Amino acid sequence: MGLSATENSFLKKMPKSALLARRYTEEHEWVDAIDDGIIVGITEFAQDQLGDVVSVELPEVGVSYRHNDAMAIIDSVKTSTDVYSPVDGRVTHVNENLLSQPELINKSPYQDGWIVKMVPENRAQLDSMLTQDQYDELVGSAEK
Amino acid sequence: MTAQDKATPGNLIFDYDQANTGHVHTDEDGIKDQFPERDCLPLPNVSEMQVIRHYTELSRKNYGIDTGIYPLGSCTMKYNPRVNEDMARLPGFAGMHPHAPPSHAQGALEVMWELQEALKEITGMDAFSLQPAAGSQGELLGVMIAKRYFADMGERRTRIIIPDSAHGTNPATAATCRFQTVTVRSDERGNMDLDGFRQAIGDDVAVVMITNPNTLGFYEEHLQEITDLSRKHGTLLYCDGANMNAMLGISKPAEQGFDMMHLNLHKTFSTPHGGGGPGGGALGVRSFLEEYLPVPRVVRNDSGHTFDLDYNHEKSVGRVHSFYGNFGIMLRALAYIKSWGSDIVNVSETALLNANYLLGLIRGSFDVPYDRRCAHEFVVSTRRFGEKSALNIAKRMIDYGLHPPTVYFPLIVKEALMIEPTETESKETLDRLAGALAYIANEMNQNPDILDGAPHTTAIGRLDEVMAARRLDLRWRPPKG
Amino acid sequence: MNYIPHTREHVSEMLTAIGCRTVDELVPGQVPRAARLDLGDPMSEMEVVSYIESLAAKNAQTKCFAGGGSYDHYIPSAIGHIVLRGEFLTAYTPYQAEASQGVLQALYEYQSYICLLTGMDVSNASLYDGASALAEAVLLAHSYTKRRSVFVDGGLNPAYLQVLRTYCEGADIFISDAINDDVACVIQQTPAFDGSIKDPTHMAEKAHRNGSLFISCISDPTSLAIMRPPGEAGADIVTGEGQSFGIPKSFGGPCLGFMAVRSALTKKLPGRIVGATQDGSGRRGFVLTLQAREQFIRRERATSNITTNQTLLALSATIYLALLGRTGLRSVAHTSYRRAHRLQQMLHTRGFRTITPGPFYNEFLVETPRPAADILERLQRCGILGGIAVDDRRLLICCTEKNTIPDMETYAREASMQ
Repeated sequence: MGLSATENSFLKKMPKSALLARRYTEEHEWVDAIDDGIIVGITEFAQDQLGDVVSVELPEVGVSYRHNDAMAIIDSVKTSTDVYSPVDGRVTHVNENLLSQPELINKSPYQDGWIVKMVPENRAQLDSMLTQDQYDELVGSAEK
Repeated sequence: MTAQDKATPGNLIFDYDQANTGHVHTDEDGIKDQFPERDCLPLPNVSEMQVIRHYTELSRKNYGIDTGIYPLGSCTMKYNPRVNEDMARLPGFAGMHPHAPPSHAQGALEVMWELQEALKEITGMDAFSLQPAAGSQGELLGVMIAKRYFADMGERRTRIIIPDSAHGTNPATAATCRFQTVTVRSDERGNMDLDGFRQAIGDDVAVVMITNPNTLGFYEEHLQEITDLSRKHGTLLYCDGANMNAMLGISKPAEQGFDMMHLNLHKTFSTPHGGGGPGGGALGVRSFLEEYLPVPRVVRNDSGHTFDLDYNHEKSVGRVHSFYGNFGIMLRALAYIKSWGSDIVNVSETALLNANYLLGLIRGSFDVPYDRRCAHEFVVSTRRFGEKSALNIAKRMIDYGLHPPTVYFPLIVKEALMIEPTETESKETLDRLAGALAYIANEMNQNPDILDGAPHTTAIGRLDEVMAARRLDLRWRPPKG
Repeated sequence: MNYIPHTREHVSEMLTAIGCRTVDELVPGQVPRAARLDLGDPMSEMEVVSYIESLAAKNAQTKCFAGGGSYDHYIPSAIGHIVLRGEFLTAYTPYQAEASQGVLQALYEYQSYICLLTGMDVSNASLYDGASALAEAVLLAHSYTKRRSVFVDGGLNPAYLQVLRTYCEGADIFISDAINDDVACVIQQTPAFDGSIKDPTHMAEKAHRNGSLFISCISDPTSLAIMRPPGEAGADIVTGEGQSFGIPKSFGGPCLGFMAVRSALTKKLPGRIVGATQDGSGRRGFVLTLQAREQFIRRERATSNITTNQTLLALSATIYLALLGRTGLRSVAHTSYRRAHRLQQMLHTRGFRTITPGPFYNEFLVETPRPAADILERLQRCGILGGIAVDDRRLLICCTEKNTIPDMETYAREASMQ
């Protein structure tokens, strides 16, 4: 689906080991570490809670955010949610396909629906995020 | 397209055009070259009868209070007396230009002054501004006044406390005036949680905004403690008067400790909602805030018989309306208040009676998240029927000729139905509404599929809101060529 | 008049069902009880009519030559008949689309009309009034550009400027006296307060060169029937007062604020927006859309606290435009224009110097040979509201298609008498 050549190569560049090390935030963002930075999106659970996404507001490339700053907005029909920066860092890429195809967030939250790529100031911040198990536990308790 | 196709209901008025060119001649009347002119005005030309038929047809696809019960929680959809429409249309009022000199607008100014006096008596506030055009604008004006008040006191306050049951306008208003919102959760009885409030209050809190009764339909039970704590910190108490229909003659917000409040004239005082406006959002304040009210203010001269517009208030925050506010709405509200006089307490007492009676009738069919007597409205949850059940029940009500209640609000109740019957509905209507809801709840158990596709009886089925938002079609465009 | 349907028996049956003896028991003890309100005796409908009519009689009914944001255009009879239909009058915001197709379609038509008249891409479903619509446009520009000040070109209606100042103080936005790099938007009113028609092109270019949005504010929108649409001249936002379109002056309210924007600003547009969509069988219908912008969803992150619009007045304006069509609307504009120029000529020859610079539409500012207040008083005695005294010696005069030649002759004669 509509990914540009650079973005395709960008996704392919993700080493498998990085995917295994996927981390999560309590705000339901996922974070994949790659060679030169991180990719951020929202989780399957988050997209399901939002329902059909109808528009996405993306940050500007080059802007820096502190940890937990709101950097993007995802609107569905009945709700609106901020996407928070999982680290202190600078935005290097945004997924512009989301502007014309916001439904990618619903259809493919972990692949085509990625939101931004960032360069963190301090990679150690990744270590304090939730692991897969911890996140599964968080979602499990939310569903009860 | 044949003539018959064109007559299909649902056509836009633009489809009826009797000549399909919008191009205009630019050489008429010697206006040419005086200023940049337009060369195309693509509005349709149609006959008066076509217009009447078109909009009559549209009206038949709409539901109003005149059609049947409209139990939209927090909106106070009561009967709108017709005589008030006649009064607003009297040429002596409808034809008044706002720049007529006060000496020639004495009747209009007296209407405003009389309404201010009545609202002062009803709320206990010391002064009113009738300028705000809606509740949300009244609220905005209130927070602007608070901001100026603290600036005058040389204090920098940055936060506003709002309970989690509040209308979205409250935090949006705070944000518009660059305050930070602190949300306090509700306790197990549906009040603002006192411990949460104690933690949130402080010397940097400018305003506490409370809707009373709150959006769960309950009178706040800890108002005394909240008032005392707020006073201790110099914080102003703001009452969102959306639910004033539960307090007429029963209790005055100023006596409950509030410093400011807005009233929704279109809710409490029966001016028609008009499909979403125009309304009126009068703002009342206690005397120490009076000098901040917008100008011009309507005053009575020393003689006691004449009225004037007073612009000389140095501390006024300015103004929020092109003129003096929604005068036509004020006029209807005054006529309504005069028709009740001191007996207006019957309005609120009956609103309470109707809501509690209806709650008793339907509590068996749904979950009641807070088990206590309600004020003029109440909230039930349909969560036992699963996700989207509130939506499905609402849509199914349309099949039975009933307007649905407010759904999915307040946000703190899952699958919420927020029901406000108002005082003008009869016992039979309430019985019928409860019967229909019980019937639908039964359908939900027996045959949930039928609810998924509801409504079935309307000219149009459930509309695709996702498509509407993704593929924006917000206007008609003239055909090319 | 009693608007409560219960009989005494119903009340006692209902109380029994609830388990109360009196309604009083429904109010918790913590609520401080009010003494009986002092609002006088209830009035019957007949008494209400007589009371309100007696107040109406205290207002002077005059032939109107005043504008300044409220215009005395003729209101076709059909409008009142339609907007008084209970299905429109007594409905609320169309949250339930299937039961509100009438209002929703009418608002879609309204949005279409506003776009066609202004030459813009997208309109909302209306705002409170012209002044607050302008203030909302400034909040929009601030939110879009992240800049903190606004530049106002001369000639803005002073009441609008005052409303703008009030909103700006609340929102920490500054009114700048130069177009600098902190300016979010440049505002120009046309026709301006003094009636002059401005070509927005120049100011729009200046704003855009500076990275600011350009806001065009329209005072009497009947002028749009003959003026080049602001959208074609580079406006990013067009706001204005729609009272001219079939809405009574009614002492200044309720009014009809309108706002239309370029498509890039759609998601920042405040207020309700109606969109077309389909039902499950592919039938076309209308819904409130883009609601995630609005305060009830976005709460403290919303860019405006606006809740309702002015539906019934938007409906009035839509019916007005449908009844007049392009021929009728152009006729209203031409007649208003011609009448104003005729009166200006009559007054000119009697020593009233016109000080509106350049071309004007249906309003013009004159310097009066005698105190303006004296002239207004004299005209008032002849049943004429002669305009707005801007100061001691300046009078703002307006004409519409309702002002007849004999009335204009009376005006000119009386105004020039010592």
